[in-house]
Amino acid sequence: MPKIIIDGKEIEFKPGQTVIQAARENGIEIPHFCWHPSLSVSGNCRLCLVEIEKMPKLVISCSTTATEGMVVQTQSEKVIAARNAVMEFILINHPLDCPICDEAGECKLQDYTYQHSVGESRFTEEKNHKEKRIELGPNVMFDGERCISCSRCIRFCDEIVGEKELTFIKRGDRVTITTFPGKKLENPYSMNVTDICPVGALTNRDFRFKSRVWEMAPTKTICSGCARGCNIDLWTRNNEVLRITPRQNEDVNSFWMCDNGRLNTFKHVNANDRVSGPHLRKEGQLIKCGWDEAYAKTLSELKSFAKDEIAALASSSLTVEDTYLVSKFVRSTLNMKNFDFVRKVVAGSGDAILIREDKATNAKGFELMGVEPGKSASGGGLKFDEIISHIESGRIKALILIEEDLIGWNPAFEKILSKLDFLVTISTNFDASTSFANVVFPASTYAEKNGTWINFQGRIQRIRPAVTTIEMERSLDGMSQSRWDKFGTDFDSWGKAKKNDARPTWKIISGLASAFGTKYKFTMAEEIFNEIAHTNPLFTGLDYDVVGENGVQLKTETVKKKVTI
Amino acid sequence: MGILELIIVSLIKIIVIAVVMLLTVSYLVYFERKIAAWAQNRIGPNRVGPAGIFQPFADVLKLLLKEDIVPTAANKQMHTLAPMIALFVAFSTFAVLPVGPSFTAFGKVFSFVVADVNIGILYVLALTSVGVYAITFSGWSSGSKYSLLGGIRSSAQMISYEISMGFSVAGVILLAESLRPIAIVNAQSGWMWNIILQPIGFITFLVSAFAETNRLPFDLPEAEPELVGGYHTEYSSMKFAAFFLSEYANMIISSALIVTLYLGGWQIPYLELLNLSAGWVVILQVGAFIFKLVFIMFFFIWVRWSIPRFRYDQLMNIGWKVMFPLSLLNLLWVAILAMIL
Amino acid sequence: MAKKNRLKDLSFGQRIYITEIAKGLGLTLKNMFKPKFTMQYPEVKFDPPASYRGRPVLAVEENGQERCVACGLCSRVCPALAIEVQAAETENEKERYPEKFEINMLRCIFCGFCEEVCPEEAILMSKDYELAFTNRADAIYGKDKLLTPVSRLQDRINFVRQFK
Repeated sequence: MPKIIIDGKEIEFKPGQTVIQAARENGIEIPHFCWHPSLSVSGNCRLCLVEIEKMPKLVISCSTTATEGMVVQTQSEKVIAARNAVMEFILINHPLDCPICDEAGECKLQDYTYQHSVGESRFTEEKNHKEKRIELGPNVMFDGERCISCSRCIRFCDEIVGEKELTFIKRGDRVTITTFPGKKLENPYSMNVTDICPVGALTNRDFRFKSRVWEMAPTKTICSGCARGCNIDLWTRNNEVLRITPRQNEDVNSFWMCDNGRLNTFKHVNANDRVSGPHLRKEGQLIKCGWDEAYAKTLSELKSFAKDEIAALASSSLTVEDTYLVSKFVRSTLNMKNFDFVRKVVAGSGDAILIREDKATNAKGFELMGVEPGKSASGGGLKFDEIISHIESGRIKALILIEEDLIGWNPAFEKILSKLDFLVTISTNFDASTSFANVVFPASTYAEKNGTWINFQGRIQRIRPAVTTIEMERSLDGMSQSRWDKFGTDFDSWGKAKKNDARPTWKIISGLASAFGTKYKFTMAEEIFNEIAHTNPLFTGLDYDVVGENGVQLKTETVKKKVTI
Repeated sequence: MGILELIIVSLIKIIVIAVVMLLTVSYLVYFERKIAAWAQNRIGPNRVGPAGIFQPFADVLKLLLKEDIVPTAANKQMHTLAPMIALFVAFSTFAVLPVGPSFTAFGKVFSFVVADVNIGILYVLALTSVGVYAITFSGWSSGSKYSLLGGIRSSAQMISYEISMGFSVAGVILLAESLRPIAIVNAQSGWMWNIILQPIGFITFLVSAFAETNRLPFDLPEAEPELVGGYHTEYSSMKFAAFFLSEYANMIISSALIVTLYLGGWQIPYLELLNLSAGWVVILQVGAFIFKLVFIMFFFIWVRWSIPRFRYDQLMNIGWKVMFPLSLLNLLWVAILAMIL
Repeated sequence: MAKKNRLKDLSFGQRIYITEIAKGLGLTLKNMFKPKFTMQYPEVKFDPPASYRGRPVLAVEENGQERCVACGLCSRVCPALAIEVQAAETENEKERYPEKFEINMLRCIFCGFCEEVCPEEAILMSKDYELAFTNRADAIYGKDKLLTPVSRLQDRINFVRQFK
């Protein structure tokens, strides 16, 4: 491999790499605004200037291809002076309204001003005024004054999404960004521009002014929007999820995620219609009751039906651990065969970038774990459509519905559920389906539990809890903590944040199983996963540490043998 | 004098002294606070009554109304006994200290002392030794490490300083050739005060007295920054008040002892030259005793608000390496003096 | 380097200690007769100087416009986590304002860091030192108690401008 010397350090690089890429791969940070690893080179910010021996002037490292034997200085006096000058120049028309700006705390301009600027401006004239608060699209707000014209957002729309929506207009210091006439910034990935904007010019309208970034605690987890399983950070404050940002994973989602995932996959966690504590239907009303009472009621009711009069339907967004235990419970403890998963494929909703047609996060997991009817060791059993038709014809009288709102998914199922004699649901929120339920168990959402999902590629990825339920403690459960979480007491207003009495599905299932006389020894999701790893050859050698932050690609092709549970 | 009469007279004396002591103690606390305030450019208690003169009563009332807490880890009997010992020692010591000369009234001879014991000084020394038990008991029985450390420090300190105190007193006894307090006072007529005859003895006694009463700069047993409240950390309500009382009563007794042993007791030099009637002489002499007593008590308080506390090792060094040799030296000097006189 | 006064460096007079004690006693005695500084508090109120750090308040302009833009720096710098701010959007030129601004006076330690860090000169230490409450809820001062007209804070504003 060819070599290049940066700051006296000999570095190997791949032919064709630019200087900034070679430096970055070897841990040398060259400041930059307009360059982005996933976008084309624009070279307009001039901040990445470096000194290269035998070149007459300083050159920008983002567009200079590295060549054998090149000697680069990133910290020489000349480079530092140039950087200062560039920073001063960029700051001439920047309003410096950091106290108001939402980007403060994660702003590249703010960071670089502290790191690379002299801290004083010679510019005493009135700053340029531009339009502020422009709604570029339904989800993105634009502030013209803060913009430093790096063109990252324009290039993102052009190159990643392929929708030409944004452009520069005007010249010189009046240059600003706008949408093409008659267009809006409304592509399904539009909000990624708020992440890549190095300043606070483009902001997330959903999150605007909700919280300062340093007040929140980020949790590395997975988006629950579709089978892609984009890696995300879930930002929480006072036990409330406030926003989602994508987390880089080149094997899954690179730097991006879709707007739907960003906006619509966390609101139900904070919602007021969360189920807190088990509920029993008494005189037509769902009344909160104790866990033991709910278990006992479920036990006595289910025992009054014959085995083939009962069916179970589970969401295909259950975690691998939940799936394992639910399947074990239904097939072994209840000794039932009518058990299937609800597939949520919306034809035509996917695209070639990230969004998948399959809206469930773990459908591939069911396939790989071999828990589908007909594939399991116990054999036979009705499939989803057959279960539905059997309910309709009255042959199935009781249903266990796990983490799935059938009616919310397809209103036609209202007729089906109303025919049931007994419906148990394990639900995160009260919804159309729970209105027919006789017993409702409160399930933790994906933001409140540990677990794993297998995405459509067969990649196993970890979800981690970001919100605490009644039985969790942020510090003891190793969850990410903000300064407030660390030093607050029960007497502080933020210490009194709402906590739901909910449990992960596997825990509810364990409880039910023990009511039926079978004790599972699991006390945490990790133990279930370890058992799966021991019994299922597909998962051999895996544990939560191995799966880690970025997940592991399962060797799906090598496993031909049917897996038994 | 018949037995009955002796009992009645003694009882009256005891009651008078007890009442006077209690009142004095209350006001000693008041003046302690006032003097502390003055030394620090403040004005001190001034809310209860004019110039705050009823403050002591408010304090007593407050202490009476406090809840009496006995820690679970405490030895209850000892914990209760300790303040009683402290109070008993403080009050009974005064019995042998003469306030004024004997006088004749109604054809009988009265003396300003409850018990004119011929081994009075021995009695005082014995009782102050008993006082150590109060502090040691309270420290040990509280079941608290702070109390225990305070108690242990206190007993070590009191035992160490008792020796130099005893040798200083020995000098006085040597000159007076008696253990009777009245005889000691009588031996100091005119300017023959022991403070002049044996100044080193006076200093060693004074320092030892400070140490024996646990007053600053020797208040290590209750050194707040290290031991919270020392031996009385775990005391509250009237039990605490008992310690408080005994501490100040001890201060009065030490002052009275200093006056008796070194400042000529009730003696006023050259008083006989004025040719006053016997009544006036008695009144003046009692007045002189009280004046000297008040001055020494003021001195006690004054020192407390001027001098910082010694470190424990310094305290022991001073006790054993300075005060003890000095008191021996004093004894030698007195022996020589006794040969000359 | 400062001269170390070790035991061996002391003069004989200092070593026998008695003269030094006498000096100390003299000093306290002298002070007993000096004028007293006590203030008869409930009757006579202390009027603090501009440098005094009383309870923190939020400045509000004469036209009713509050200065705070809810940047949250005071909340971040507060070593005692006393300040809680929730921002929201307004139509004003400065598009951010505090929807909720609470100072927990049980937590506040009157260090004045919030004032020092404030970019808008909005949070200022007032001269108010009489703070007593009987329950925890009363100790949380909301905007109703915090907003104070600029005119009443002029003294402090001048001080802050001079020394910040």
